Amino acid sequence: MTEPVPNAVELRAVSKVYGASTAVREVSMDIARGAFVTILGPSGCGKSTLLRMISGFVSPSSGDVLIDGVSVLGAAPYERDTAMVFQDYALFPHRTVAQNLAFGLRMRKVAKDEIARRVEAMLELVNLKGFGDRRVSQMSGGQAQRVALGRALIVRPAVLLLDEPLGALDLKLRKQMQAELKTIHRDLGLTFVAVTHDQEEALTLSDRIAVMNGGALEQFDTPENLYRRPATRFVADFVGNANLFDARLGSDGRVEAQGLPLTLFLNPVQRGGRQSGAAIALVVRPETIAVGATAPESHDGRVEAQVEEIMFSGAVQQIVGRLPDGRRITAHQSAALPAPERGTTAVFSWPSQSVWLVDA
Amino acid sequence: MSAARDIARRRSRLRAALPAAGLLPLVLWQIVFFVVPVALILGLSVWRSQSYRLIPAFTFDNYIAIFARPAIWRALLLSVETAAFVTVACAVLAYPVAYFIAKKAGRWRGLLLVAVIAPFWISIVMRVAAWRLLLGERGVINQMAIALGLTEAPMSFLLYSPVSTAIGLIYAYLPLYVLPLYAAISNIHDNWIDAAMDLNASPTRTFFEVILPLSAPGLVVGAVFCFVFGLGEFVTPALLGGGKQLMFSQVIQDEFQRRLDWPSGAAMAVVLLVLVFASLALSMKWIRRASGETGL
Amino acid sequence: MSRLSLGWTLPAYSVLLYAFLYLPIAVIVLFAFDAKAIPGLPIDTFTTDWFAVSLADTRLVGSLFTSIRLALLAAVLSTALAMPAAMVLAWRPVRMKSLVLCLVLGPVVLPQLVLGLGLIVLFRAAPDLIGSPAIVLAHTTMTSSYATLMLYSRFLGFRRSYIEAAMNLGADEFVTFREVVLPLVAPSLIAVLLLAFTDAFGEFVVAWFLAGFTETLPIAIWTSLRQVISPKIYALSALVILVTLFVSVSAQIWILGQSRRECES
Ligand SMILES: Nc1ncnc2c1ncn2[C@@H]1O[C@H](COP(=O)(O)OP(=O)(O)OP(=O)(O)O)[C@@H](O)[C@H]1O
Ligand SMILES: [Mg+2]
Repeated sequence: MTEPVPNAVELRAVSKVYGASTAVREVSMDIARGAFVTILGPSGCGKSTLLRMISGFVSPSSGDVLIDGVSVLGAAPYERDTAMVFQDYALFPHRTVAQNLAFGLRMRKVAKDEIARRVEAMLELVNLKGFGDRRVSQMSGGQAQRVALGRALIVRPAVLLLDEPLGALDLKLRKQMQAELKTIHRDLGLTFVAVTHDQEEALTLSDRIAVMNGGALEQFDTPENLYRRPATRFVADFVGNANLFDARLGSDGRVEAQGLPLTLFLNPVQRGGRQSGAAIALVVRPETIAVGATAPESHDGRVEAQVEEIMFSGAVQQIVGRLPDGRRITAHQSAALPAPERGTTAVFSWPSQSVWLVDA
Repeated sequence: MSAARDIARRRSRLRAALPAAGLLPLVLWQIVFFVVPVALILGLSVWRSQSYRLIPAFTFDNYIAIFARPAIWRALLLSVETAAFVTVACAVLAYPVAYFIAKKAGRWRGLLLVAVIAPFWISIVMRVAAWRLLLGERGVINQMAIALGLTEAPMSFLLYSPVSTAIGLIYAYLPLYVLPLYAAISNIHDNWIDAAMDLNASPTRTFFEVILPLSAPGLVVGAVFCFVFGLGEFVTPALLGGGKQLMFSQVIQDEFQRRLDWPSGAAMAVVLLVLVFASLALSMKWIRRASGETGL
Repeated sequence: MSRLSLGWTLPAYSVLLYAFLYLPIAVIVLFAFDAKAIPGLPIDTFTTDWFAVSLADTRLVGSLFTSIRLALLAAVLSTALAMPAAMVLAWRPVRMKSLVLCLVLGPVVLPQLVLGLGLIVLFRAAPDLIGSPAIVLAHTTMTSSYATLMLYSRFLGFRRSYIEAAMNLGADEFVTFREVVLPLVAPSLIAVLLLAFTDAFGEFVVAWFLAGFTETLPIAIWTSLRQVISPKIYALSALVILVTLFVSVSAQIWILGQSRRECES
């Protein structure tokens, strides 16, 4: 008993192989109790497969899955203390809303009056009071989504799994449900693991995000770290917008970009213990870049580029420049600032302490 | 802890056995009542019979003997001809209706389709009985024809002839042909047809260059089933064919049940089986394509 | 309206074809009301007496009930065999699936004559089964193929997430089947039962080979067709045909509605 409170979910080098292709590759992850974790990644990267290995619909080819500190390999889905919200909701069409909510409790042999009480409470929680006797086919998209959420929550699972729960909703409803989901998570204190390929959703909802690519876990970290300190080039590129410059690390923190007249000096934290001579990529976030005729004093990273495109989107204007070697650089700056003329040459500049390094 | 693991392991082994348990009864059943009987017929066809007694052997004498009988050749030929004629007739008769249901019937298509198939479910014996009422010398068609002055004397060739067998078979298999045709034709998108017409193809050219080739899978699959069923059909020729010109199935039944020469009858049955499976094998590619496209 | 339009010819032709399909049925029903002892065209007097006569014929009615009994058994047996097999085929990876499918679908393409003869040979090993048991066994073999095919396509269209949702909420395989799968496929199941029943009820060739002294309705009609037919046969046939049509049409419309609802949701 080294750990007083076991993690809600532990994945230990879990892999899933389908014939010749590997859907999930050696993923290890500890999900603490009460956390809200999202699994983020491009389509086909193995997010659903990972989730379904936790819920028991897919058995891992190798590795171990622990729920509440106990290995659940060999346990059927109905023997695991997980509940899932399906992307298509999978509400039983032959049952009313209340009967759908009651299903999990009936399976757990909860007493009748207790079921009635908890169903009523759940209807209230998911804002569906008075809808208990409706058929599920009569529910709108958002309402059906809430029923699906309630049906999973009502059994108070150790882990609530959500596979693209908001994927079928329109943007406005999506935003509203994101807020509700967050509130419910905070109020109930359950562990949530959600899958999404919408990075904004992941960033707003979760305490920690697992970024996957090609079946492998690239980084598992807080949203802020993911953005400010991406572990890999993929994460830097996938989460938020990034300008990536291939470079080589010199001695004393000197960095020279390849094919660009750009030299920076980075501190040891930024270097992250890399040896000099290492091939790296500079991650420069667009919002750290200023565009103008000259660079501010403090901005020691600077390149000249021809302004190619200026796009206004409300408070921010996006400025795209073409570098001498033909690549593009993107800057976001306040729309209140004067914009350079299209076609002119401007200086794109940023402070070197805002730069992050990833392995090339 | 280990007890719980044991239970979990036992349950997971039980779960792993579920698929086999679901499939096994049907598979065993089909082996006993389908594979074994066919194997028995195959085996029997190389035995000998002597004064109504079966003698185990391995000889192809039965095959040689049956092909030495001209009556067998005649029956086989009649069966193949009839089945082929019925197939072509069904295709020609069924195509327009399948097209109508698939493309023109709108919201009635489901009902019309069901209405085509419904007679297929009526017992074959009753359907044939009805055709006897229609085709007999004093039957409905002859009496109508006489009443309308179309003929003087009743047309006697209508019943108890290959003609009546063919009519009966067409009637029996027409619904069967409409189904795959309907499936194939409803898979042809209207915009493909529109596109052809937009490119100034005449309706006839559109039909022959777009619609017909695209409904080929349905045509072939329907033809195969029609032909295969027509070859082996027994009731219709037995009740409508009259017994002067026997079809192959009748000869087989006769050999088995009246002459009681089972090995020889079994050899004929094997010939029939070979014909059936050869037709199926030849068209397998098309059957696959049709079932792939309709998701049957 | 640039689409291929043949004007009125296509509908007119279709009407003719439907007339062809329903003509024999109409004729049987018509002659069931003909008062003459040998039915023939100018029908002068209509009567419903033949229905009473046929229903009073104990042998004929006995064969009808034999048919109903045996077909019921075959329908239930074949559906019971087909349902679990169709579920496994549709939902689980099955080794040598095409072989299994060939085995299951073989009886559809096998000429009934050959199956019947093969079964005669088989039942030489168990002559006691000749008669009702042999007929039920044979019909089950034939109808379970159709039943498996129909249920297979139904289960292929079944949403897997319903099952996963149930299991996820704590229902094991059997409870999931009882609570979710069965209620949702019940209409198809009933339709398949009805169609299997209809098929077994009307089957003649194989039953005839294996009947022994048992007489099903198709066998009774076959026997009477070899003599001069009494109109009571037509009366009973008319009744049976109308029931058959009703049953098969409603079963198929049921399946149709079912698949349409599936598409919408
Ligand atoms: N049952 C299966 N058999 C074979 N391959 C599979 C199976 N299930 C998933 N895969 C493959 O595994 C990979 C990961 O699939 P998965 O469904 O986990 O992706 P995903 O990240 O959820 O994608 P999406 O965002 O599109 O839902 C895919 O390449 C997929 O083709
Ligand atoms: Mg997915």
